Amino acid sequence: MRKPKYKFNPESLSFDKIRLGVRDILLRTLAILIGTVIVAVVFNLLYGIFFDTPKEKSLKREIEQLSLQYDIVHREMANLEKVIEHLQETDDNLYRTIFGAEPIQSTQRQGGIGGVNRYDELEGYNNSKLVIETARRLDGIRKKVYVQSKSFDELILLSREKEDMLRSIPAIIPISTKDLTRIASGFGLRIHPIYKISKFHAGMDFTAPLGSEIYASGDGTVESVNSGKRGMGNYIVINHGFGYTSVYAHLDSFAVRTGQKVHRGDVIGYVGDTGLSIAPHLHYEILLNGQHVDPVNYFFNDLSAAEYEEMIEIASKTGQSFD
Amino acid sequence: MFSRKYFLDPIDLQYKRVKLAWKGKLVRFILFTAGGIAVTILYTSVFNSMFGAPKEKALKQDIENLRLKYSILEMSIDNALFTLGDLELSDGNRYRPVLEMDSVPASIRKMGMGGVSRYDELEGYDNTPLLLSTRRKVDEIKNRATVQLESFRAIEAQKDEWKRQMEYLPMISPVNVIYRLGDGLKFREKHPVLGTPQWHHGQDFSTPHGTEVYATGSGTVIDAGWNGGFGNCVVIDHGYGFRTTYGHLSSIKVSKGLNVKRGDLIGLSGSTGTSSGPHLHYQIDLFGQHKNPLYYFNNDLSEDEYFDMIQTLTSHSSLR
Repeated sequence: MRKPKYKFNPESLSFDKIRLGVRDILLRTLAILIGTVIVAVVFNLLYGIFFDTPKEKSLKREIEQLSLQYDIVHREMANLEKVIEHLQETDDNLYRTIFGAEPIQSTQRQGGIGGVNRYDELEGYNNSKLVIETARRLDGIRKKVYVQSKSFDELILLSREKEDMLRSIPAIIPISTKDLTRIASGFGLRIHPIYKISKFHAGMDFTAPLGSEIYASGDGTVESVNSGKRGMGNYIVINHGFGYTSVYAHLDSFAVRTGQKVHRGDVIGYVGDTGLSIAPHLHYEILLNGQHVDPVNYFFNDLSAAEYEEMIEIASKTGQSFD
Repeated sequence: MFSRKYFLDPIDLQYKRVKLAWKGKLVRFILFTAGGIAVTILYTSVFNSMFGAPKEKALKQDIENLRLKYSILEMSIDNALFTLGDLELSDGNRYRPVLEMDSVPASIRKMGMGGVSRYDELEGYDNTPLLLSTRRKVDEIKNRATVQLESFRAIEAQKDEWKRQMEYLPMISPVNVIYRLGDGLKFREKHPVLGTPQWHHGQDFSTPHGTEVYATGSGTVIDAGWNGGFGNCVVIDHGYGFRTTYGHLSSIKVSKGLNVKRGDLIGLSGSTGTSSGPHLHYQIDLFGQHKNPLYYFNNDLSEDEYFDMIQTLTSHSSLR
């Protein structure tokens, strides 16, 4: 089909037919392959400079939007952080003036929010994701450890005490509280809000709106329901047996009568401002064999270990009682 | 490199150089280009199916990096949300109950949240959920922080009022606690001096002549001097409708119009006016109604503590 080609042989001064060996064919194929690859790369580059594929276009659009939104949110957060910081300061000041004590922040708040750039130091490393994930996982583990230690506490308690004694001992916070912000004052020497001198505070104060429910902290019998306008105002005494008595004072009204049997968690009355008190609150006392004891040591039933520690700190630091 | 090629011309049986006309060259060039494009497409598609397109990969990596930045930002956002929640609890559980203020209704707290989507520009991306959740959270923070700001402002105002009220209302015993309480607020069949049945509108304290009498709350002296049956008498207006009266004093240490603080010395007890012996008559009126003074102080101090209290109350400033 193809015309034979010849090449000039200068030695014999004659034209020889060109014959291709296997090696030549291989070399040629390789050359073509390399050539085409080079051409393909050059074409690709040229195309890439002048055009985007639709997919690339949409990706670019997305990147643009993501960066734009990031900048907006980042800037907004920086402002909001300032607002929140201001709020925190206000909160602290209010706490100081109303409770007469240095504010205590929950563990998570303690670190402060510290601005948007708090985690910026984690950025820019190849393994940032890994670092963040690890930090998160560590938090999770820490929480699990708390839960674990709490369940150990329960086990020890269960093994030590009889069941009905467990039911009777005043062991819950006598007021609805999903957090510890209701603790207003602890047991011990406190600044009296009116006298302004240190006075022994024989119980614990909880802040709550007028009419909030008050719960019996353990099974027992209502020993007395007292109406009065002096001192503790309207108050209830519950005898839990095993030497334990609990007192709930400054009540607005009662939900039980003298002699009535109550169970832990039963509503016995409502928060008020009766007697000598500067604000609506519940004054709660526990007596063991007639001696006042610190109620903070008796709230083991409904708190996790972390909350428990936080509560002890709050109760120990709060500097002013409410009656 | 390539040696020259020749071909045998069958007409004149001569070897001639192989030469291409420009037309042939053009055809060759076009063929070469077309072939190149075809080969390029083939190679690119094979390469992409095996390794992914490099440019796309770079873009996707950019997006991945951005997502990482977002997740870091998200931690700050969550932190802020947590802090806000904490502040809201503090607001609702600590301050408002104490100051007897109603808690901020949930409807106001949730103001401006939810409702119609206002983020149309964020629709239509692979990462729309991420963008939306971030923006929503930030907007939520903005709203909640605004409400909290307002709420704290209200509490601040109320707090000052509350503190003032605590200082002004009569809330301590006017004399040291060691002195025995005499007649209280009751109907007396026989007045100790007049001998007739009469209401006793206050609380008596059996004190020796010259016992120090202190203001039981801050206020303004509206009367200081002789007042008929009360003898030498001081009346303090505490505001909020409260007035306290201290009767039968042997000497008066304040004058009309003076502002006094709780714990300030206002006079010495005696037996002036209609009195059978040295004592203090202490009376509390709320909007003209006689109140039982026993409900307005606690006998829970020792003598030393009472002395301590008076010292503390007057240490910062005495008469103002």
